[in-house]
Amino acid sequence: MWTRTSGGLVLTFHLAGINNQNFLMRDDQTGSYWQQITGAAVSGPLTGRRLTLVSSDELSFGLWAAEEPGGTVLQNVAKYASDYAKKDWEVKMLKEPTVLSFADPARKLEARTLMLGIRAFGASRAYPYDEVVKEKLVLDRVGSESIVLLVGPDGQSVRVFHDHIPGVDGTSPFYRTLDDTQSHPADPAWLKQAASTPIMMDEATSSQWNFQGCAVSGKAAGACLEPVDVIKDYWFDWRNYNPGTTVYSR
Amino acid sequence: MEHARLKTIAYSLLLMTAFLASLVYLAYPIYVIRPFRHQGPRELALALRVIQARPMVELVCVFCALAALLLYLRTETRRSRRRLAIAGAALVCAFAALSRVNIYELMFHPDTHPLFSSARQAKIDPDDKVLAVKLGGSARAYPIRSIAYHHIVNDTVGGEPIVATY
Repeated sequence: MWTRTSGGLVLTFHLAGINNQNFLMRDDQTGSYWQQITGAAVSGPLTGRRLTLVSSDELSFGLWAAEEPGGTVLQNVAKYASDYAKKDWEVKMLKEPTVLSFADPARKLEARTLMLGIRAFGASRAYPYDEVVKEKLVLDRVGSESIVLLVGPDGQSVRVFHDHIPGVDGTSPFYRTLDDTQSHPADPAWLKQAASTPIMMDEATSSQWNFQGCAVSGKAAGACLEPVDVIKDYWFDWRNYNPGTTVYSR
Repeated sequence: MEHARLKTIAYSLLLMTAFLASLVYLAYPIYVIRPFRHQGPRELALALRVIQARPMVELVCVFCALAALLLYLRTETRRSRRRLAIAGAALVCAFAALSRVNIYELMFHPDTHPLFSSARQAKIDPDDKVLAVKLGGSARAYPIRSIAYHHIVNDTVGGEPIVATY
């Protein structure tokens, strides 16, 4: 997700092409072409410029609605709704062919392995989504900094935070405190309650933290961890645009 | 007589050149930038340069083709050749018109006037995924099953113009 301002103009984008299964956008105002995954103009008068990334989360609707009851949701376009992907679209997509692969059997990476990609702190690093969801909480380093990958109470949403508690020197190990065996991710009432429930604790301050990355009790109460942008992407696409990426494995 | 014949040949060559240029400028980007095909960096860069130059090139081709046709029809008397020339010029016009069609938006219809409902009213399964953003105190969610179809939504959230992509 990107801001759509550049060169003093507010741009309106259209789908205009494909580059190895990552799409190209064209803006009405200058006719420049932009790569979706990088936000960079690759052709036309604005070539070389980059859009600014807008931080976004990929969440289950139930969890998002519990966190943001006053939020608004894009409506389906009735005319095309019957053509939208079906409920099991993610499973079907895994079987779709790709034009690039970068398959790495040693690391159990196939072209369409779902990854969580992070470009931050001067490095790029990818995490197999299924592995993160299985581990629930991952402590790792990207470039020079320590980060926390945290799976939400719904068991499928993931947020990433800079492991640096305001006022605390260095990093602090976190551990998960939520009892995931008691989760009911399809129950909106349970999600509403879970959205505000502490999900992890840190060792340095013994504070409890929620899925928004904010301490709700303990010495750090009221402090929030800095979010780190993360992109959910297929391995082939992430690897194609991040040739120097490293890959997490336990 | 010989001079007239040379003129006819020159007009037909101009028409054929306009036809070929128009066809190449239309077809090359479609050939390169098509789904389920590997795009090399150089061919993609060339295809995008062709696209940038295409409106002007197609316009010039149409002008040349029509001018060549008019001049050709004044010198060529054989009906079959005249018909061929008319068909060629018509195709140049058709290529120019087709070059303005965004085939990707024909395939994946854009959501040009996005509408929104409140989180409470939205009829979405709790486990369906959304892309969520919060700007200027406003929270917005884009259900992935719909944005994966339209791919792009031009929006303004919390006063900030953004483009949601998937």
